[in-house]
Amino acid sequence: MSGNYNMFHVEVLPPRQDVEDLEVRLERFATRYKRVLDAGYCACITDNAMGNMSFQGTEIIEEYDLPVDAVNVMIHLNTFHSKNVLDNILKSCIDRGIKYLLVISGDGNVRFPKLKPADLGIQGVSSVTAVELLQYINREYTGSFHNGVAFNPYEPEEEEHEKMMKKIDAGAEFVITQPIIDSNPIVDKLISEIDLPVMVEAWMSKKLHLLSDCVGYDIPEDTEYDPIESLKNLQTNYPSGGVYLAMMNYKRQFNLLSEIGRA
Amino acid sequence: MKLSELDRADNYNDVWVLGEIAEGKVHRVTLELLGKAKDLAEKRISAGSKVVCLLLGHQLDGLEKELFSHHADKVIIVDDEALKFFNDSIHASVVTRLVNKYKPEIMISGATSKGRSLMPLVAVKLETGLTADCTGLEIDEDSGLLLQTRPAYGGNIIATIKCEDYRPQMSTVRQGVFKVQPEDVSGTGELISEFVLDEEKQTSLTVLSEEGLDGESRINLHDANVIVTGGRGVKNADGFKVIHDLADAVGGAVGASRATIDSGWISYSHQVGQTGLTVQPEVYIACGVSGQIQHLVGMQSSDFIIAINKDPDAPIMHLADVAIVGDLFEVIPEITKLLSN
Amino acid sequence: MKIVVCVKQVPGTTEVSIDPETKRLIREGVSIEMNPFDTYALEQGILLKEKHGGELVVLSMGPKRAELTLREAIACGADRGVLLNGRPLGGSDTYATSYILSQGIKKIKDVNLVICGKQAVDGDTAQVGPGIAAHLGWPQVTYVSKFIESGESELKLERMHESGSDVSVVELPAVLTVLKDVNIPRIPTLKGRLNSRKVDITIWDETDLETDSEKIGLGGSPTRVVSTRKPDARDKHTIVLKGSASDSARELMKILKTRLEL
Repeated sequence: MSGNYNMFHVEVLPPRQDVEDLEVRLERFATRYKRVLDAGYCACITDNAMGNMSFQGTEIIEEYDLPVDAVNVMIHLNTFHSKNVLDNILKSCIDRGIKYLLVISGDGNVRFPKLKPADLGIQGVSSVTAVELLQYINREYTGSFHNGVAFNPYEPEEEEHEKMMKKIDAGAEFVITQPIIDSNPIVDKLISEIDLPVMVEAWMSKKLHLLSDCVGYDIPEDTEYDPIESLKNLQTNYPSGGVYLAMMNYKRQFNLLSEIGRA
Repeated sequence: MKLSELDRADNYNDVWVLGEIAEGKVHRVTLELLGKAKDLAEKRISAGSKVVCLLLGHQLDGLEKELFSHHADKVIIVDDEALKFFNDSIHASVVTRLVNKYKPEIMISGATSKGRSLMPLVAVKLETGLTADCTGLEIDEDSGLLLQTRPAYGGNIIATIKCEDYRPQMSTVRQGVFKVQPEDVSGTGELISEFVLDEEKQTSLTVLSEEGLDGESRINLHDANVIVTGGRGVKNADGFKVIHDLADAVGGAVGASRATIDSGWISYSHQVGQTGLTVQPEVYIACGVSGQIQHLVGMQSSDFIIAINKDPDAPIMHLADVAIVGDLFEVIPEITKLLSN
Repeated sequence: MKIVVCVKQVPGTTEVSIDPETKRLIREGVSIEMNPFDTYALEQGILLKEKHGGELVVLSMGPKRAELTLREAIACGADRGVLLNGRPLGGSDTYATSYILSQGIKKIKDVNLVICGKQAVDGDTAQVGPGIAAHLGWPQVTYVSKFIESGESELKLERMHESGSDVSVVELPAVLTVLKDVNIPRIPTLKGRLNSRKVDITIWDETDLETDSEKIGLGGSPTRVVSTRKPDARDKHTIVLKGSASDSARELMKILKTRLEL
């Protein structure tokens, strides 16, 4: 599949560690995961999203012996791990045949350890971001992974562009944007400027206002929003990249995807 | 001890300061507390209250002068090689015995790591109450009791605490909460020598050696006249560069809010706030700091507060003397430029 | 080695309310977590157990919900958990709390090391660790930043003060409080979590602990909160500068110059 990102990338969230009905939630994760793979989409597993202590995708895949199709599984990997745990995750990915990583700085939490530059054998920086993590993976696990990075069209343009250049230098192979609605001129600009595959992120929840934190300005709570329509528009406007689906409602929306589906 | 018919409150008199030594000299917090002890003793003048400083250590000759000039009426010195290093067991035994002997009504000490280790140990041995990190100490007019004020529950609440039926009433106070009162160089008083008993030296804890911090690792937030602090608005580790630049331009120190420490943008030694350091500089410049209570508690005694934030309603903007509404990445370089001229 | 690590379940946010009667924390309805400093104590207990063998028990005093925190500790690697819970225990200050915990440690029997975090983020007093040492009559080493050497019967420790550090040797049994410098706490694994859900948590109340009723709860606490209030708003006039960055900077300089001249 290498090089072909033109498909649906569906986010599957591991359960939080503190849930009461843990076994039920793990079953649900396994069911969704398999459903995504069976439909020919890529399952994208988050890494302690929003700083909530959850389980690692690799842990759940191992515990439940979930199938891995090299092209259809992507793991998020952030900088809030001890070096030990980081290497364990990467080795587990290699063991299981997981090849796609989304390397991000991530959301922290007092409870999480944080990688230090010295851990990764990197000097000259005061803290580890996605860039340094990328450098480490490409240096220590050369050729094992296809690493992607995030792009935020809502952050100051110049800063974000600079960051993107550093990420590309460090070996990024693909890009996933923050959620956009229908289209975004800054994303268009990015696509025209860089040579890498760019996947746009679709916000699949009707509650558009929850996106406020991400975009950095307040979206009113009662804003009318049809995620399926927006997804169709995204496909029309970005026909050659893939689409990353966040906040999807598996019950109501999953079956609609095949109709909207890509070639 | 719990008060009873046989052991009444009026058996206990005087305000004690449990002193601390730093690098062979009297610790600044001890001097700050002596001034406060004087205030408290004055309010307990009806009980004939005196200010007493208890100092444990080794080679303490002459240190009592500074204690007298900072308003101690009495100084109790315990000078012994066994007290050369800070051995919690030995120090606690000696202090406990002396408190039982002299029966102070109130005993306060700095909330330094040594104070916070020793005082709770002593309080339980004495079977009395201790209130840590007090931000205020007053005498209640009606009862003559010590009113101990401290932030609680993450700093959202200021609590007033009393230790009514037990003596001594004990408190620790962080450096910088009270100011050193003007010296009286002619100050003098009674000097008492006490000793360490042989059995007190037999302990299962041995302190082998002590070392001061080297220059680099000690971020001198305590002594800085100007502190420039970066908060969440700094966005990442690189964002601290403008903070460092401004601090350099004013000859100040760099502080940080807890959010930035948690995110790994700067090391813990810079943290100002309830679980970090309490500071009292002349000028405090808070950049991209929202001003959560836990942070304010660490810097609200600053003489002059400047806040820079995009949000005009961030709590710190209401606390500040000057509130600049703007992007710190634009404003700070402008200030740094003007200062360099 | 038989190690007890004391952990406390604390509110996860800073929005808590106060019971006007008892002036104590109302714990309902806020997110909860293991006191951050205790995670370091727990990790150290696990590391010592991995090195020397033996048993690691986590101990907590609190409402029934504190069981969740004990399970989290077991998921990380503790062998079992003990919760001290009972109405008369509530409302205790640090003196009474350390007394109750020390009774729990005595009942666990044959303990040779107690490890606590430096302080709890909701009370911030850092008094309970030393209080336990005093009640047990064991030596204490606080602010431990490094375990230089560890043996079955003694430990060599580095300790941090603001003004420097020291190295000490303590014979067991002893009570330690640790700093964040001491290790990097692990996150529970999935296997650990699944396992912890099968373990029974022991619950002891005041009768099990044989506590002296005069030394527990509000009645057994030498210190008492008599009033609470919101922090003062500073009584001052704030100068607000809203112009461009360069204008604001210039205004600020003017204000500072005037101030210096006064």
